[in-house]
Amino acid sequence: MLNEATLRQVMSAVLNVAPSAIEQNSSMDTIGTWDSLRHLHLILAIEDEFKVSIPDDEAGNITSYALIKLVLQDLLKDA
Amino acid sequence: MTTVAGREPLSILADSSAGLSQILSALKAFEEAGSCTREVTLGLSSNATVDLLGVFLRKHAALDGLRLTIHLGGLDDPSGDIEIFRACGVEYTLLLPLFDSLIPSFEAQIGRLSPEAVASKEAEVAARYRLIFSQAGTFRAVFVGTFHRIRESAEPGAPDDVDASIARLNRALREAADGFPNIRIIDLGEVVTAVGHAAAFDMRFYFRNRAPYSTAFLNELARRIVVASRGFASYFYKALVVDCDNTLWGGAIGEDLLNGIKLSPHEYPGNIFWEVQNELATLKRRGVLLCLCSKNNPADTDEVFACHPDTVLRDDDFILKKVNWADKASNLSEIAAELNIGVESLVFLDDSAFECGAVRAELPTVRTIQVPAVLSQYPQVVVGIKELFLAGGLDEQSRSKTEQYRLRAAAEEHKQHFASTDEYLASLNLRVKLSRDAVDSASRLSELTRKSNQFNLTTRRYTDSDMLALLESAEVTVYSLAVSDMFGNSGITGVAVLRWSGETAEVEAFLLSCRVIGRGIEFAIWPMILRDAAARGCTRFVASFSPSSKNAQVAGFWDKFGLSPRISDDLSPTATDDAVRRYSAPIDRVSCPPTSWIEVISC
Repeated sequence: MLNEATLRQVMSAVLNVAPSAIEQNSSMDTIGTWDSLRHLHLILAIEDEFKVSIPDDEAGNITSYALIKLVLQDLLKDA
Repeated sequence: MTTVAGREPLSILADSSAGLSQILSALKAFEEAGSCTREVTLGLSSNATVDLLGVFLRKHAALDGLRLTIHLGGLDDPSGDIEIFRACGVEYTLLLPLFDSLIPSFEAQIGRLSPEAVASKEAEVAARYRLIFSQAGTFRAVFVGTFHRIRESAEPGAPDDVDASIARLNRALREAADGFPNIRIIDLGEVVTAVGHAAAFDMRFYFRNRAPYSTAFLNELARRIVVASRGFASYFYKALVVDCDNTLWGGAIGEDLLNGIKLSPHEYPGNIFWEVQNELATLKRRGVLLCLCSKNNPADTDEVFACHPDTVLRDDDFILKKVNWADKASNLSEIAAELNIGVESLVFLDDSAFECGAVRAELPTVRTIQVPAVLSQYPQVVVGIKELFLAGGLDEQSRSKTEQYRLRAAAEEHKQHFASTDEYLASLNLRVKLSRDAVDSASRLSELTRKSNQFNLTTRRYTDSDMLALLESAEVTVYSLAVSDMFGNSGITGVAVLRWSGETAEVEAFLLSCRVIGRGIEFAIWPMILRDAAARGCTRFVASFSPSSKNAQVAGFWDKFGLSPRISDDLSPTATDDAVRRYSAPIDRVSCPPTSWIEVISC
């Protein structure tokens, strides 16, 4: 099961915004600090936190909260 | 301090299992709390994306109490970056050239390129770094990562084209760095080995963002750079103080007796302690002052060092021994006082959580390290201790320091046989060799200015490049002195920096190693320096004393020359202790205290 509060916390720490600023429709387009470099940091931080390994294809593309959630739910479904 | 999810930021940063987002949150809390002791700036330049390294550098700096600000350079523009870093006053610079990005996928291309094309690329890179190093003299230190491969060789056991080219480039880097004392080469290949090749790289982001390194690699690299910089010059350890029982051997000598303690190189757990003793003996040979601090009967511990068949350390490996039942903090303070160094120059190693806790509480500036409960981790902890002393680099002269301190101890003993101090001094055959602008000793001279605290009139610290500039300047003479006596030669142990401007001779810095003070050497060199000043046409002598937390003992130094201070920045006649004392007098009014027992040789 994905703990969304934890995910929001990780995203807020890496993107340097308040946890409340991370919403269901947040994405690279809506959060100014979320650039391609921060995205790299975000993927690494999510992997650290949830002890998962995000596949290469998805790592570069999950540039919205909804997509990250989807991929994480999938990776965590057997955990 | 603000906590992060109920934890102290520093305890999160010290926790190797903390994830990236926790590190980021803890760093933010630490930096916002403003509890750091000092701020440091570092410029980071690379042809790969290494921004994340900044986070780990800040983490390791924070663990040394520092707030580190990172200036990121552009991608693959080291010369331009250096210029920008210099312009904004950055103190440290880190250059990380990645071999594979010198040209796109160099590792894959090299096999089909002509040897001439490879050679010309190598020559261009070498020339570029020679130029960069020559422009980087203003930085306190420039760390340069060596070239390394990111893809494993298909031909293990035989160096391929990539290995050969990397070896040539690294040789060129080291040659280019030669002669620039502030350039420090960091072996990135060793970091790859330490982390493991498979764990060091994360190729997912290499092709997308040119970011090849994993967080594990970046964390280890950052740790090594902070250690190599001695916590960005926040510490300089000189002595290692060790406990005995369960630290130098297994068991307690008072209870297990000589035959019962564990120290055999062939049996567990003695082999661990035996290995540790070997490491400590090596440290001693490299110039670290080894001391004992143990709650024991001295006869018992003496017996181990004299008679145990497997002991590596011998009695004469220890410069000082405090084997008694007094508390360890008091013993450590005494050790520092007797060695004439500050307690912040001590590293203390003990197996007892109680003793370590007590020392941490009473002497927080001592670096206290506990023998790990899991004994097989002990050698790794000792590697960390070795790094604290050695990773910052050691000067040749520092290596035989134990011998020099020992000479001093022998002198103390000799002193006891004389009726008066004068009689004693006269018997020493003291000679001072005074040199002018000894360029060959530049790094020892600047090292002395950075390490001397107690006998230091102005506490000016010079980097190697500052010192080189002074040595070559016509307006400045750097005097250095070496002392010899019947007990031996102390090597270079004092520096005086004189600035000549018109008719004024100004003492910009004067400092002596504590090993040679108390014999009149601090006075003996001045008649010759004053003669130099007069020969240059100087008629006025200007000197000062700037108080620091350590140099109170020399506050009245210039008064002994018959000079009276003017207290600057203080209009009231009652001088405060922390005001700078300035002296100015006609040269012929400066009267040097007599030192007839010392022969001064000029060269």
